[in-house]
Amino acid sequence: MAIAAPRLDRAPRPDLDPDILARIQPVTLAGQRTVPVPGPLASLFPWGGLPRGTDVAVAGPGSWSLAMAMWAEALGAEGWLAVVGAPDLNLAAAADFGVRLDRVLVVETPPGDQWATVVAALLEAVDIVAVAPVSSVGRRDARRLVARAREQESILFHLDGAVRWPEAADVVLTVTPSSTTSSSWEGLGSGHGHLRRRVVEVERSGRRAHARARSVVVAMPTAEGGLAEAPVLAPVLAFPH
Amino acid sequence: MSAVRMLVVWCPDWPVVAWGVPLDQPAAVFVANRVVACSPAARAEGVAVGQRRRDAQGRCPGLGILDRDVDREARLFEPVAAALEAITPSVEVVGPGLLGFPTRGPSRFFGGEEALCDRVREVVRPILERRADARLGIADGMFGARLAARLVDARDGAVIVDPGESAAFLADLAITTLEQPSLTDVLHRLGLDTLGAFASLSTADVVGRFGREGQLAHRLAQGHDAHPPDLRRPAPDLAVTWQFDPPAERIDTCAFAAKALADELHARLVADGLACLRVAIEAETEAGETHLRLWRHEGALSAAALAERARWQLDGWLHLAQGRPSSGVVRLTLIPDQVVPATGRQLGFWGGRAERADDVARVVARLQSILGPDAVSVPERRGGRGPAEQIVLIPAATVDLGDDRPATRREWVTEPWPGRLPAPHPARVLLDPLPIEVVDAIGRPLTVSGRGQISGDPTLVTLYGRRRRVEAWAGPWPIEDRWWDPVHQRRQARLQVVLDDATAHLLVIEQRSWWLEATYD
Repeated sequence: MAIAAPRLDRAPRPDLDPDILARIQPVTLAGQRTVPVPGPLASLFPWGGLPRGTDVAVAGPGSWSLAMAMWAEALGAEGWLAVVGAPDLNLAAAADFGVRLDRVLVVETPPGDQWATVVAALLEAVDIVAVAPVSSVGRRDARRLVARAREQESILFHLDGAVRWPEAADVVLTVTPSSTTSSSWEGLGSGHGHLRRRVVEVERSGRRAHARARSVVVAMPTAEGGLAEAPVLAPVLAFPH
Repeated sequence: MSAVRMLVVWCPDWPVVAWGVPLDQPAAVFVANRVVACSPAARAEGVAVGQRRRDAQGRCPGLGILDRDVDREARLFEPVAAALEAITPSVEVVGPGLLGFPTRGPSRFFGGEEALCDRVREVVRPILERRADARLGIADGMFGARLAARLVDARDGAVIVDPGESAAFLADLAITTLEQPSLTDVLHRLGLDTLGAFASLSTADVVGRFGREGQLAHRLAQGHDAHPPDLRRPAPDLAVTWQFDPPAERIDTCAFAAKALADELHARLVADGLACLRVAIEAETEAGETHLRLWRHEGALSAAALAERARWQLDGWLHLAQGRPSSGVVRLTLIPDQVVPATGRQLGFWGGRAERADDVARVVARLQSILGPDAVSVPERRGGRGPAEQIVLIPAATVDLGDDRPATRREWVTEPWPGRLPAPHPARVLLDPLPIEVVDAIGRPLTVSGRGQISGDPTLVTLYGRRRRVEAWAGPWPIEDRWWDPVHQRRQARLQVVLDDATAHLLVIEQRSWWLEATYD
């Protein structure tokens, strides 16, 4: 049972320049230290961004594209990404979303007994480690890796929806084809056109601060390679005359 | 306030010398495809540090190509340090090829600094024989002495800067001799091209603008030691010891212990908010022989750097001509000899570009030792029509991760690739395409003719053992690769489909069979 600390009546603050105020208030809780996420996804997260040191699972068709869009935003110009044991991941698509290819390491699938060692080593130096383990991960290894990520403030991405992970991920992003539009893909006809973008619903669930699920409808990729908020179209019942 | 008077012995081009290459032969040592050291003969041909291998070979076709072997460099330098212990007990090794010691005692004993230099030469010459040059510099402070040694122009020469003259000696030298590009680039742009100009600034201004790092550099430029000499001696409990039972006979056993000790020492220092500038590493054998060496580092020594130095020292000791240990090592001790409050080395997690690249490179090296040399790779762009041909992976060992790599940028691929699929790229490209079945509306297998004509509308796709209806499709995009080459020619056609579970895929037909090539995941 948590006991609420008594609130202290503070003297009113002197009027200060907002700039200075921002600078002298560096106190943020660990959970509030976040990395940016693409604009349309910000409403999914309690602090408007992805907390550092968490593990994130993505699942559903389109989840890899979603992960790539999130990496691009989180890494910015300087962050490093490591992809472990996901030989199918197409980095050309990641680059389209804005991931810098000169900040990417690709690690071939480590043998089962080395898997945790390799991921742990990467979590120390790299900002985001994306994994897709081929065999199930032991509970002890999983706890150790999550603790390592928290300590190093790096982010672990489960590309396979954490199906081989013994614990629930901190944040789970489930992608489903949007129910509000008839076909989620745009640009393709019967025998003409080409795939342009899709509209999907992203549902965020998870643990602790992320326990209450929220969802948002986004379109990806945009022409600039990113996410866009998709207008939620109400089903048309009747045309007004 | 004045700096401790130091004598520096500098063997130029040591990485090349360590390979036993005669100085009159052109040779260069490369790391990640760039020259890190070259012999005087190579330098005369225009080879310079930092050059690419191709450029260096272009300048000097007969260039001998050598790999960096730091262990070997350290091992071969150890006899020099050991011999100088006949002159002074406090030899400090900075790294392979460079060491120094305070001159106060020995110069008085041998009758002046000139005489001391002669004595050092007498001691060092038989060890280096004709292979290497040893240049001496004496000045106030390690930094000044190093620069003095670098100004020596004759073989085995010496430059002695008179006491108190260090600041004047340094004043005319270029600002880049500080070897801190991030700082000196700014200073250069501010019009401060010499150490003298930088030294004449007021300390308060330098600290205000450049912080701790700037302050240290400013002290060096003024002819002081970076850290004031009145360093407090650390409490002896900071020393860490490893007992071997049974005695360690192998160097890698010792190295393993050294790594653990270094981690422990580092943890203790960090807990006390200290950083170590000079460390003494002492090994004792079963027979009671001890071997102690002081190691100095201008920035604070990290745990990995400490462990590496311990390994160098033990390796060097085992290979000494005289005074080799006669039995196994029973005790290994790391004693932090000079410590300073750790201030400026705290790096931000999401910043500090060069340091980050170093960290990443270190992890890459570690993974390579676990998984094998080709297990870690980095992407580069290539041109191509198929989705799997846009990116190639090259071993991370062949590139410098801190470098700007143009081949990773979009502009790198300039040629148009007609027949290439329009963006977006599929997020998942199968390493091994999956055989599938595609049929048209009346159940016939779908084909694409040589002219790129499709035989019907794709209607059903059998994928992962399930039949799925095609909701929308486009194509075919026919491709004829290497039609001029009878062996490697390929004819393929690609199709984009959206299936009834709202997944989109890229299908390819080759030789009348269909494959799942990529998924727009």
